[in-house]
Amino acid sequence: MPGPFQYCVWFLCTLLEVSVVVCSLAKGSFRRYLSLNVYMLAACFVNLARFKILFTYGFKSSEYGYFYYYSDLLLTIGLYCALMGLYSYVFEEMGAEQYVRLGALLLLLGTAGFSFAIVQQSSSRMGHFVLDSRVMGHLVLEASQNLYFVGLVLTYVLWGAMLKLRETRTRLIQLVLALGLYFSVFAASYALRNLSTGLSDLWPYLIPVSGCLLPMAWAYAFWRIPEEARIAPSRLAVVPR
Amino acid sequence: MSRKLTVVLLAMLVLVGAMSLKTVVVTHGDGSVIMANGGAPLPPTPWKNGGAPLPPTPWKNGGAPLPPTPWK
Repeated sequence: MPGPFQYCVWFLCTLLEVSVVVCSLAKGSFRRYLSLNVYMLAACFVNLARFKILFTYGFKSSEYGYFYYYSDLLLTIGLYCALMGLYSYVFEEMGAEQYVRLGALLLLLGTAGFSFAIVQQSSSRMGHFVLDSRVMGHLVLEASQNLYFVGLVLTYVLWGAMLKLRETRTRLIQLVLALGLYFSVFAASYALRNLSTGLSDLWPYLIPVSGCLLPMAWAYAFWRIPEEARIAPSRLAVVPR
Repeated sequence: MSRKLTVVLLAMLVLVGAMSLKTVVVTHGDGSVIMANGGAPLPPTPWKNGGAPLPPTPWKNGGAPLPPTPWK
């Protein structure tokens, strides 16, 4: 059962998600960064729905479990779309939107197919493969986690492209770096947890706290960094002179 | 056309890279969730019926060592 700490972090995370949308609206950037704001708005609503279901059915109920993991997949797809929105901003001057869309669609389909293949193989090993609720649940979780890793790699690719293109828009840089940090923290902490058993007690606290990183950094980017702000590309890359 | 093929190639490369990275990260993992959107407490997966350890696969009859394949 979650304790007061988890509830506090959850509430804080929801507040931060709302603050991203509010800051974006206040600074007139809502439509400019529509995919990011829609994702944050969706995350707020999902949090409210999770809260309602948790209190109605209980933490260990299958209702909360299924709703949590199914909504998590939808949110991960939303985050993927937000990342593709960032790709569009970076490549907008090159007129490469259609190629970004094609690549995004291919990757999404590829990830879905790969996840299905994993689940099918694992279920067939256990016996006859039937697409029931248990297998569907496994598929949802697998697709969500695979899409997360695709997002992680895509963020690093985007960061490499931004360095190569000598991107100077400070807000865009902040948004992409925040996303990279968010993805990396989860992967690194998971790998560390598997290496060190001492970290397993910290894990239930680490995941929700890590979830606050992205809305906090994005709210900061919308509130404190103006759209016109520019940064010298030489300050982004550490290269020997 | 070549641009579209480049996009397809890049997409496949990213997919392979991501799945390789996942394999590296989750090796020796306990199958728990790596990432979650938002700060909601992580529930136990409802489709794992109980916490009992997985039984050995039933089609491996006994613990005898595998014989070499006769058609080699």
